[in-house]
Amino acid sequence: MKKRRLGALALAAVAALPTLLFLAGCSGEETVVLRVFNWEEYIDEGGEGSYQYDYEVNEDGSAPPIIEDFEAWYEETYSTPIHVEYSTFGTNEDMYNQLQLGDKYDLLCPSEYMIMKLAAEDYLQPYDESFFDPAIEENYYIRNVSPYIREMFESNRINKADASDDATWADYAAGYMWGVTGFTYNPAYVEEEELSELGWDIMCAGQYQNKVTTKDNVRDSYFVALAILYRDEIEALDKSDPDYNKKLTAILNRTDEETITKVEEIMREMDENIYGYETDTGKADIVSGKIWLNFAWSGDAVYAMDIAEAGEDEEGNETASTLLNFFIPEECANLWFDGWVMPKGANRQAAQAFVNFMSKPENAVRNMYYIGYSGVIAGEEVLSYVKDCYEVDPADYENAEDVTSYDLSYFFGDTVEAGSAVFYADSEQASSRQLHAHYPTEDVTLRCAVMDYYGEEANEAINELWSRIKSETLDAWAIAVICVGIALIIAAVLLSKFGGKLDLFRPKPKKGYTRIRQQNLR
Amino acid sequence: MRLRFSRKMLGIPYAVFLVFFVLLPMLVILFYAFTDKEMHLSFGNFIQFFSDPTKLSTIVYSLVIALITTAVCLAIAYPVAYILARSKMKKKFILLLLFVTPMWINFVLRINAIRELLSWVGLLGEANYFNTIFGMVYDFLPFMILPLYTTLLKIDESLYEASADLGAGGMTTFTRVTVPLSMPGIMSGITMVFLPSMTNYVVSDMLGNSKVTIIGKFIYEYFGTNWHMGSMVALILLIVVFLSTWLTGGFKEDETVRGANL
Repeated sequence: MKKRRLGALALAAVAALPTLLFLAGCSGEETVVLRVFNWEEYIDEGGEGSYQYDYEVNEDGSAPPIIEDFEAWYEETYSTPIHVEYSTFGTNEDMYNQLQLGDKYDLLCPSEYMIMKLAAEDYLQPYDESFFDPAIEENYYIRNVSPYIREMFESNRINKADASDDATWADYAAGYMWGVTGFTYNPAYVEEEELSELGWDIMCAGQYQNKVTTKDNVRDSYFVALAILYRDEIEALDKSDPDYNKKLTAILNRTDEETITKVEEIMREMDENIYGYETDTGKADIVSGKIWLNFAWSGDAVYAMDIAEAGEDEEGNETASTLLNFFIPEECANLWFDGWVMPKGANRQAAQAFVNFMSKPENAVRNMYYIGYSGVIAGEEVLSYVKDCYEVDPADYENAEDVTSYDLSYFFGDTVEAGSAVFYADSEQASSRQLHAHYPTEDVTLRCAVMDYYGEEANEAINELWSRIKSETLDAWAIAVICVGIALIIAAVLLSKFGGKLDLFRPKPKKGYTRIRQQNLR
Repeated sequence: MRLRFSRKMLGIPYAVFLVFFVLLPMLVILFYAFTDKEMHLSFGNFIQFFSDPTKLSTIVYSLVIALITTAVCLAIAYPVAYILARSKMKKKFILLLLFVTPMWINFVLRINAIRELLSWVGLLGEANYFNTIFGMVYDFLPFMILPLYTTLLKIDESLYEASADLGAGGMTTFTRVTVPLSMPGIMSGITMVFLPSMTNYVVSDMLGNSKVTIIGKFIYEYFGTNWHMGSMVALILLIVVFLSTWLTGGFKEDETVRGANL
């Protein structure tokens, strides 16, 4: 308990610090302050992990964090000094809580469903029209965003709760990072053919009893259960139908009562079968061989594969090198993304400038390199970065089958020279390794569905379902017995404490001195 | 009126601290527990809690885990503290240090180490409840040893001699002199182990692969989605803790108790 109080005090002190610093810093000129609230470790923070580390370093040997570069760029471009107050959160819900507590920010970076929730609750302010004008030099976002992402943002309504609201994603959000979900697996124990056959059933199938993990959060696990539940229906969909993806998305967003009841059964099966739920330990566990399959976001999968391959752990100690693969189930997968949104009352000009700076292709590469996820920004610099990582020369290969032509035109579109987004890649990379996770091909994205915000009521039902799955539930009689037991204990203690005063249960002293001695000793 | 310095004024900093970081938060919890989403007075959370077998079961499971942890800690710590306190060794502080040093190493690091050990033995992912209790015992053992050691150390040697003079054997002396006199230490040890083991969900997440849900985790998850229910669960935990402390006599104004509370 004491620790917790100290913790609260420390927190208060930390919270007060930036304010004090800011007050001290802005006494002179008029500095614009931009309050950015982002995920932990989700931006280039400079130093050794930075992309530029090998290219341009400061005099003291360190690469500057990208935020410092932004501050310099902003002052140069708009001739106003700016100070970025950067803070981070760990989960979407934490971020939402901070907002509800009344914290003010100019720019947030939540995930898709949280953006929808914020939009439904009228927290957000739309982007300025000028933000979308490609003629303006500084509009790096609109000039470089991948046409695939742009299309998705422009064709989906953001507020599904209100049918009269036609606002799309694009009106309120600018993308930052995106990816799919799938399984990181260890091919030493797991056959790919078996995975293709099982699909999402991997989670319930006895073959991997105690060797597979899922995420310790309700939405990801709910998605898996839906994919298992409606597998037949999904497979029956006609893939050539132009509305294929819309229909798929509708199925994977069902939250009606019947679905929830059936999902509960499946989640119970999952609970029996899996090794455990994890938020962060999965990566280390699959590298160390504790588990064979780890349900993972693509960025984490790339990270785990890199670590396993390099044969070193996070601290750089050598470990045995293993090759891990990434598998995206063939029937469907979840497409997720995090985007920049502005709460009401935000400094729109500065916030948009920040988004644009981060969308400059070379900066997008810096961030991607640092955090390992895939950005929504296309453009020549990004393509050449991807090629640097994955392009191979077919002449180096004896077997023609070991090289595949990899087509990312759908993603890069007209932001790069026509045809340049098709390149040769190692077949293994293309089908089951880093490249497959980093930039999946168009056919993979076609079968990917975005999970919406379910709405207040459905959310509550699903959260209750989750707590039922996660906790052991005793039978009613067992609870009754235990309650009676506890009541009896309390009664017994009460009687022994006050019974004496009531003169009911005073024990007769055996010998005169016994009681006196006991009293003295106490 | 001139402001005169009195010793009572030394208590002001702590009083301010108490108001802002103890009393006010408690009131906020109370407020949230008995309001609904529209901030209207409501007993809905209360009724929902007691009509939901999942929530009641979680409380029961946490209680059982905490009870077992405390019992095992006591069973291990008592003999150790007894031997330490009564040994005639000149450098026994070194022995004591051996038990206390683990507390100085980062908690997460220790839990990770235990995790690797359990995985190496093959228990990780197989015996989640055992692992959780094992981790908690490992983690909270020093909190049991220290108060026991301090109270046992304070028992006057002459009492043992007197007991022997009066013809009591080793066992009788132990049950009728040592145990009653070390009761304050036992009580404060129990309070210090029992409470955290009901709420420390880092241990159950890391060692039970998140398959073991204790009440602390429950509160954490509710604070992601529904503050009102979260506050209600926190309030009920508070009551459970209060009851158990009161039943074990933790509030007794006794010098020995206070001394034993580290």
